[in-house]
Amino acid sequence: METENIYGEYAEALSEIKDKITREISEISKRYKESTGEGIYEHLIARIKSDESMREKCDRKGLPQTAKSALIEIKDAIGIRIVCSFINDIYTCVDEIKKLDGVRVINEKDYIKNVKPNGYRSLHMIIGYKTDLYDANGNKPGEYFVEIQLRTIAMDSWASLEHQLKYKKTIGNQKLIVGELKKCADELAGCDISMQTIRDLINGEK
Amino acid sequence: MIRILLAEDEAELARAVAAVLKSGGYETEVASNGEEAVEKGRSSYFDVYVFDIMMPKKDGIEALKELRDAGINTPAIFLTAKAEIEDRVTGLDAGADDYLTKPFAMAELMARIRSLTRRSAEATTGEIRFEDIVLDIEGKTLSCNSSIGISAKEVLLAELLIRNGGKVMDENEIYERLFKDEEDKTVVSLYISYLKNKLKSIGSVTGIYAENGGYGLKSQ
Repeated sequence: METENIYGEYAEALSEIKDKITREISEISKRYKESTGEGIYEHLIARIKSDESMREKCDRKGLPQTAKSALIEIKDAIGIRIVCSFINDIYTCVDEIKKLDGVRVINEKDYIKNVKPNGYRSLHMIIGYKTDLYDANGNKPGEYFVEIQLRTIAMDSWASLEHQLKYKKTIGNQKLIVGELKKCADELAGCDISMQTIRDLINGEK
Repeated sequence: MIRILLAEDEAELARAVAAVLKSGGYETEVASNGEEAVEKGRSSYFDVYVFDIMMPKKDGIEALKELRDAGINTPAIFLTAKAEIEDRVTGLDAGADDYLTKPFAMAELMARIRSLTRRSAEATTGEIRFEDIVLDIEGKTLSCNSSIGISAKEVLLAELLIRNGGKVMDENEIYERLFKDEEDKTVVSLYISYLKNKLKSIGSVTGIYAENGGYGLKSQ
């Protein structure tokens, strides 16, 4: 028996919005590339949280498995990850995204400045995005939420390695690995800043 | 090159000691009273202080106290007259690392200087601090709210600035000490920029300021 997708009638709107915001962000980068020769990110991936993990998240949060939970209460049905070459590009992206029509920032967490104890660095923000379509509250024009994660290439490769750790619970030398990962995170962060410094020097910035 | 600041008001003795130190390969500056010692100590970097206690204008103990209060941790040896046991105690309490009773043998002074410089070289393994920052020399990290990895050269530079206790160290002096193998002297300002940005990234209020062709640490 096939159960209906948790996003129900909003599934289409969801993917439309994901594509639209992806397009808009890539256009910002294109504009930068035309004027400065460099884009503001290296690559971008956008996804819609799968039906299965969204239902699981509803359960975890004690919410009913409904479109309203998935699209209003939970705010990462649409997820975008922007991976930048340099740290300052992250903040450029953030500033530009905030300027987009129909965007309002719901919250912003800067784990680059406030590093998590395990060494995790990234900038997370949740935005509300206005659309002509209906949202799960029945409003038209409606608002959908998007979680955007921004990080450097170095932070991204670290995060993917750290992610693997979470799924291997039986590693005997867990403590050693966690410590070494933290050290790697700090070393990579040092490199990120050295590269930014060199880039500023090349571009003649202070 | 190891630099020594010798503060001694007896001109003849000062000349003689300085001559021996120089012949022993130490670069030696002489201050003829306590006030001059403080001035010199504050304005440039030394590896060891050798201070006479009884000096005009400001005695050696007072001079060292002032330097210590300014955050300068350069190892110090006091020269005391035989009867001044009290002085030795207050001298050590004021932050001296060693003392030598006059008259002394030059060989002994040299040995004590060697021991102090060796000790400060050995001390470069643990953690040293300045205001809100911690430099882990072995672990090659700088920490405040978070920590960040720094390269071997940055460790040496950070260590030099921290040990210099917030006063300005001349750019040439930094170059001579750490970057001699690099032809391009702008290497110093590049490494200063690395450290500046890394200090900012760990949320420290300590920055690096430039003044009179040199650099020093300062808390905002």
